[in-house]
Amino acid sequence: MVMYKLGQYVYQESPVHSRDPRVKLIAVIALSIMILQLNMAGLLVVSVVALVVSLLARLPLSAVLRSVHPVLSFFIFLFLVYIFFTPGRPIPPFPFGPVQISYEGLNLGILQLWRFFLLIVAASILTMTTTQSEITMGLERLLRPIRITGISSHDIAMLIALALRFMPTLLDEMNSLRQAQLARGANFNPRRLNQKIRAISYLAVPLAVKVFRRSDELIDAMQARGYQQGHRTYLRELVLSRWDYCLIIVIISVLIVVIV
Amino acid sequence: MKTMLRVHNLTYAYEKGHSPVLKNLNLLIGEGEYIAIIGPNGCGKTTLIRHFNALLLPTAGEVQVEEFSTSDTKRLLEIRRRVGMAFQNADNQIVGMSVEEDVAFGPGNLGLPSAEVRRRVDRALAIVGLTELRTRQPYTLSGGQKQLLALAGLLAMEPKLIVLDEPTASLDPESKKKVLTLLQTLNSQGLGIIHVTHNMEEAALADRVLVMDKGELVADGRPVDILNRVKWLKSLGLAPPTITELMWKLQQWGADMSTSVITIDAAFKEITSLLERLENSSQAFIPRKVDGNV
Repeated sequence: MVMYKLGQYVYQESPVHSRDPRVKLIAVIALSIMILQLNMAGLLVVSVVALVVSLLARLPLSAVLRSVHPVLSFFIFLFLVYIFFTPGRPIPPFPFGPVQISYEGLNLGILQLWRFFLLIVAASILTMTTTQSEITMGLERLLRPIRITGISSHDIAMLIALALRFMPTLLDEMNSLRQAQLARGANFNPRRLNQKIRAISYLAVPLAVKVFRRSDELIDAMQARGYQQGHRTYLRELVLSRWDYCLIIVIISVLIVVIV
Repeated sequence: MKTMLRVHNLTYAYEKGHSPVLKNLNLLIGEGEYIAIIGPNGCGKTTLIRHFNALLLPTAGEVQVEEFSTSDTKRLLEIRRRVGMAFQNADNQIVGMSVEEDVAFGPGNLGLPSAEVRRRVDRALAIVGLTELRTRQPYTLSGGQKQLLALAGLLAMEPKLIVLDEPTASLDPESKKKVLTLLQTLNSQGLGIIHVTHNMEEAALADRVLVMDKGELVADGRPVDILNRVKWLKSLGLAPPTITELMWKLQQWGADMSTSVITIDAAFKEITSLLERLENSSQAFIPRKVDGNV
């Protein structure tokens, strides 16, 4: 449940919230490409941009920073790998026996860590200022050109929407399964690995069965409501304002400048 | 009355060579009728209603919705916009990420323009009384609200007939009453309703009751004429309405009263009229009082 709460939509009236989801999606994609290309100075600029956008969106900064929490241990591991295993000029008390830290390693470690941090922050700002359905609709519209491959972007959007819709339902289902098993004396934290694996299968197998049963009913219900693959219409149609167009042009120009 | 649905010699088997679940069934349903379908578990109720909107196709025979045959695959959307269907578990029918988006799913499938989708969503939500919850995420709703949402999803298709498979099975009494009242209001506005139920008090609300047993239609008539066959219903494994059974027991005991009673009000009338008759005609009560004093 903690994972699910992170990066969750925060309702606010703000110029960031009210932007067309396509603009925000393009911005995040462009920003991600740029982040991987930029040096320290560039990252500093991106960080300031991220800070300004968060403030404009009236997001609590602590919540934005907390979004990194689940991957913190991964970050530390990555940092250690970079500082210990990058060859270069050693920093004074080192080399300490076979262990050494180089200036280059420290530099690279900080740079990479900063990049990952910004990627996650960018994605969090997107999900905190855009509802899931807006993101889905934005993706649907951005993906329309894939029609030429024979795949309908409506189908992909439906797929994403259903996955998001049933996530909390399945979490609930898993919790009730776990409780039912605990009530009958199951142990979900055994010491031995093979018992751990078995404990997982006790949850996974019945959960999978339930998912299949649910999806059978879901298919009937969707058909009964006239669902057919391919084109459909929505409650809201996305319309790009002049502002949105300007922003897209700015974002793409910056992206081109950075890459070239 | 114009015919809404016509079932002609319908036979259906889930697999070829297996014994059929539905046997040579014939049925005519008019526009705007309120019908209850009752029958023991496994009698084929659910299989039958799934033929009404082409979720299942007959092995033999034919099902027609207005002028469209359900086996005409080109007319699928035409059939499904006329006949809406909701199933027992409301949770598995909700596809939208918010209440209003879920209601918009059906009209969206019909390819209607956004403004029309909006109009229908607002109307459907107002009918079921969920307007205030329209931006909520479905998993935060109660069971009763989910059932109302499923109903709103059907109404947004603006169907002529809605088919409901035990819509009140998992609801608390309060939500149950809400759903049933809503169904009666909708019916009075001309919407046809087919209500599959195990609850005979609910069946009593319909204009017409169909009884199914072992894949066949064994009775078809007004609720009063069917629900008062206490012994027969019991032999099918069904329970008659409690109030009807009480009247039946009183009659068996020797009371001079009709058992064609399916509502509390009718039972009250029947009993009070009996008491009046007793008071007027006999001295049965008076001597006893005198005896007591002596």
